Amino acid sequence: MLRPFKVIHPGTAPDAVGELVRLGDQAKVYAGGAELILLMRHGILQADCLVDVKRIPELHGIQAHNGTIHIGAGVTHREIENDPLVRERLPALADAEGHIGNVRVRAQGTLGGNLCFADPHADPPTALLAYGADVQVWGRTGERAIPIDKFLVGTYETALEPEDIVTRIDVPVLPDGWRASFQRIERFQRPTVNTAVAARVQDGHIAGVRLVAGCVGPRATRLTELENRIQGQALADVSRTLAQSDAYLTEMLDPVDDLLGSASYKIHVTRVLLQRALGEACGIPNGAHA
Amino acid sequence: MTELIENLDTVQETDVTLNVNGQTWQGSIPVEETLLDCLRRRVALTGTKRGCESEVCGACTVLVDGVPISSCSYLAFEADGKQVLTVEGLATGEELHPLQAAFARNGAAQCGYCTPGQLMAAYALLQAHADPTYEQMGHFLDGNVCRCGCYPSIATAIREAAAALRTTR
Repeated sequence: MLRPFKVIHPGTAPDAVGELVRLGDQAKVYAGGAELILLMRHGILQADCLVDVKRIPELHGIQAHNGTIHIGAGVTHREIENDPLVRERLPALADAEGHIGNVRVRAQGTLGGNLCFADPHADPPTALLAYGADVQVWGRTGERAIPIDKFLVGTYETALEPEDIVTRIDVPVLPDGWRASFQRIERFQRPTVNTAVAARVQDGHIAGVRLVAGCVGPRATRLTELENRIQGQALADVSRTLAQSDAYLTEMLDPVDDLLGSASYKIHVTRVLLQRALGEACGIPNGAHA
Repeated sequence: MTELIENLDTVQETDVTLNVNGQTWQGSIPVEETLLDCLRRRVALTGTKRGCESEVCGACTVLVDGVPISSCSYLAFEADGKQVLTVEGLATGEELHPLQAAFARNGAAQCGYCTPGQLMAAYALLQAHADPTYEQMGHFLDGNVCRCGCYPSIATAIREAAAALRTTR
């Protein structure tokens, strides 16, 4: 049984922000409820009032505008994984969304809710970092955009103010010639490690690359230094560079031993999944393995 | 502090009209009531099981407007005006649904506790894929846990039911 609470249903983003300002820490934003209801049941989180943002029209819909896909924060994972526009233009995001939890969690959980919850073991942030997405936010001072790399702060921690609500996630489609790949391994319906790579190959060399690793550290992380090492390399040399990256990955991702595996295991798997993702993004059969 | 939310000590009730297995159920429920509790206690349909209450095991799976959800973590007021399908809604009178018949024929249950959820997830699968591959089965059913380990029989039952449904459509 859940402890009693109230629910209010603001009709616009500014109204929702107004309610959050009025209610302060008595209130929590209710988007899909997939994580929130769980935490409330287990007594990890308490709220006297849920501010239901699901009925705000602008939090829904998926549209393309000038090479960017706008995804409403209240769109469910299931809607995203099955959306023809996302599948065609943002295949690595569709892949990540289709792996979340299970079919029921995907039906209930929303992309905005997932990002705001900021569970380190999440799939969307990893893919969104590879695409370079922006998170659109309504707050006290109106609307603003936060790059996903700034939005993600730490374990269950984002750049949001308490009264902010996420309205939309804007995901730029990759430029011509780029391809993306998402990879993960999982235990108990949650990712142990995931990676996302976007890359462009020209004349057998890496002409552009973005590497992202998730679930190992407190938040998904762009691996810019490793990107710089790979940039311009011949495809044949990339696997050697990746094979020598464990020290850098350990420094960047700060892995810990836990029930999902030892720190060294997670670094090993991260490197393997980076190789697989890079291989797929570069069109190399069997991945970029040493 | 309690002034901000009016009447904190009172329960916020809301009127809902559910269509459960083709029948209308109307009533007033507290907003914090889950669909699982509403179905089991008010609508008196106890086929839907309480399992992990963490959206992991799938024992409480029901369909809301055709979409499988964890009724343990789905607030009942959200189903207002929607179609809810539970395991009790699968059979037609005394005639089992092809999925139920195939589960029984294949012994796709040992203790049977997860079976209502397995059936509902399988039903959603067959709505989306009339001839499902094992990969598609996994996509819809990997969140339905059977601790007796009946997965091979469940998969066989689903394949047989899918074939039976394709010939009757």
